[in-house]
Amino acid sequence: MEQFLQAGIIGISLGAQYALLALGFTLIFGILGVVNFSHGGFYMLGGYVAYACVDRLGVPYPVAVLAAVGTTAALGWVFELLLIERLVDDHLATLMLTLGLYLVMSTAMLEVFGPLAMDFRFPITGALRFGPVYAPLENLVVLGICLTAIMGLWLVLFRTDIGRALRALADDRAVAMAQGLRPKLLFPAAFALATGLAGLTGALVTPILSLSPGVADPVLATSFLTVILGGLGSLGGAALAAFIVGIVEAYSSVYFGGSIGALILFVLVLLLLVFRPTGLLGREVRGA
Amino acid sequence: MKLQYSALALAAALGLSTAAQAQNCELKIGAMGPMSGGAAQWGLAMAGATELAAAEVNSAGGIKMGGKTCKVVVVPYDSKYTADAAAAGSNAFAAQDIKLIVGPVGSPEATGIKPVAARNEQLAWNAAYAKNALEPKFPLMFHIAPGPAVWSDTVIKAAMKVFPMKTVALIAPNDQGGTDIASVDAEAYKANGVTTTEEYYQRGTTNFAPIVTRILAAKPDVVDTASSPPGDAGVIIKQLRLAGFTGAIGRLGGPGTDEIVRVAGGLDVVQNFYWFETVATDEPKVKEIDALYKKMLGKDPVGGTALWADLPAARMTLKAVAAAGTDDAKAVAEALRKLPVEDPNMGKGYWTGKKQFGIAQELHFPFGVGIIKDGKNLGVARQEAKPD
Repeated sequence: MEQFLQAGIIGISLGAQYALLALGFTLIFGILGVVNFSHGGFYMLGGYVAYACVDRLGVPYPVAVLAAVGTTAALGWVFELLLIERLVDDHLATLMLTLGLYLVMSTAMLEVFGPLAMDFRFPITGALRFGPVYAPLENLVVLGICLTAIMGLWLVLFRTDIGRALRALADDRAVAMAQGLRPKLLFPAAFALATGLAGLTGALVTPILSLSPGVADPVLATSFLTVILGGLGSLGGAALAAFIVGIVEAYSSVYFGGSIGALILFVLVLLLLVFRPTGLLGREVRGA
Repeated sequence: MKLQYSALALAAALGLSTAAQAQNCELKIGAMGPMSGGAAQWGLAMAGATELAAAEVNSAGGIKMGGKTCKVVVVPYDSKYTADAAAAGSNAFAAQDIKLIVGPVGSPEATGIKPVAARNEQLAWNAAYAKNALEPKFPLMFHIAPGPAVWSDTVIKAAMKVFPMKTVALIAPNDQGGTDIASVDAEAYKANGVTTTEEYYQRGTTNFAPIVTRILAAKPDVVDTASSPPGDAGVIIKQLRLAGFTGAIGRLGGPGTDEIVRVAGGLDVVQNFYWFETVATDEPKVKEIDALYKKMLGKDPVGGTALWADLPAARMTLKAVAAAGTDDAKAVAEALRKLPVEDPNMGKGYWTGKKQFGIAQELHFPFGVGIIKDGKNLGVARQEAKPD
């Protein structure tokens, strides 16, 4: 029973982190039609910016997290405006562009900070203990911030004009443009929103786990897996799938071990693609 | 200006400058290992060690080959801790006529490079702890240091004096780089009367909380992180302590204790820890390598104690080239086998490997066992190397 409860706590915590990553990834695909291979790179960059602010500039951690969000969002904006925008309808070109950006980012971090993991610690430590079951305080803080950020994103997308405009572009770009919406302003905004979310996750999670130039690869893999499960481009699907992935990963690893746990996730996605190729909440055809 | 030209011409004509002599030709030597990703520390250490050995030779005027004095140039290759990248690296080196390779590092890389390097007639040094790191059918493959079959018993006996144990849970990646080491470690623990369980994870796992929960359900006295990369091992320790585990943590695997302690959150978090060190890292002569590196190359070394462990292989390769008078891999291998195992920083060692692999092409120098007790680093105790 203890194991069952512990796995549940871990699963929810993992799910919230995966949700933040997957929402950004699927936002870019849903609105721009771009598969962003640099998404893990922005997660890593968020971690390094927060670390540099805390360690090199002596900035308090919460301010460092905001700086990481601002930096990754600004870089995402510039990248979309200068490079992605020119080739936004060429899927192969944008795939190579984002992959190239990721390689530049990871090599830059390797050169600047070196190959070793940084001494980057979350300011709150300890755990709430209920007998043998525990909930790390740092994970609870991150869970709270993640849920707030997800709620904030939902409000932006569904309760503001800019959100309506972004969803309109995602639904049918031609019609949206005929209505006066301007992709050249809105696409960089969407990209910045997504990369800012990745940066936020990196700034929050890397001090709990570890921060080195290699942390980005698994993040990209998990984000991809989650959005495929949820349905590429579907925000609700990504959030739902993130919690499913987190909970399946936790329970399967606890009860079947780390190797089989990873396998079960991939089998789950494989079965879903066979029986429901559009994912949990995906649509058959995207408009953009 | 005329005077300068005249002086240069005179120096060239008389061959007074050894540095100028070293420009007659170039000896390209490959350095291979993961230089990006989670195991980058180990590959960069391999490149750093090779660069230091090359700088030592170049500062002494170069290396003599076929009547010429050559400058040693190091060509690095990122083999990404994968078999296919290591095989591709061998071919990339062959395309540049590079016949001598210091590296690769991991077991998957060693598996990948062996047949390709044999076909390309290249000599290579792997640092893998794989059960088949050396094979008689690949006579141009050498081994930088022994694997756990040689040293695990010594480390376990030293650890048991400080941390009594009856049960150990081993955790390692589920590929050859993990299973080959953890299974040998497990046998060594069993031989010392310790019951073991083995737990494997997918390489690339970032959050070990579920696996930690699974391990702790078995209530082990000790958890051993075996050959998990240092970054992974640090997170595992951090999450074990957060989950309430108070027992000792072991590491019968690759180097990286500094990074493990840093990622885990410091000595206060690590508390009780024992580990294998490839070299006796507390010896003053061994520690001198970092200062030597900075002096010769003008920058700080990267790679920690792994660079120290890789250096003798690079130095002995160049010594063998000088003895053979060529960079032909077969001739260099023949010269290497005849060289005594000696290094200015490591001291004397042995050629081993005959007993385990059937071929005595493994460098075995004194190694170390490190202990952290109650949050205090007690240092690394030197353990003498033994012949086969």
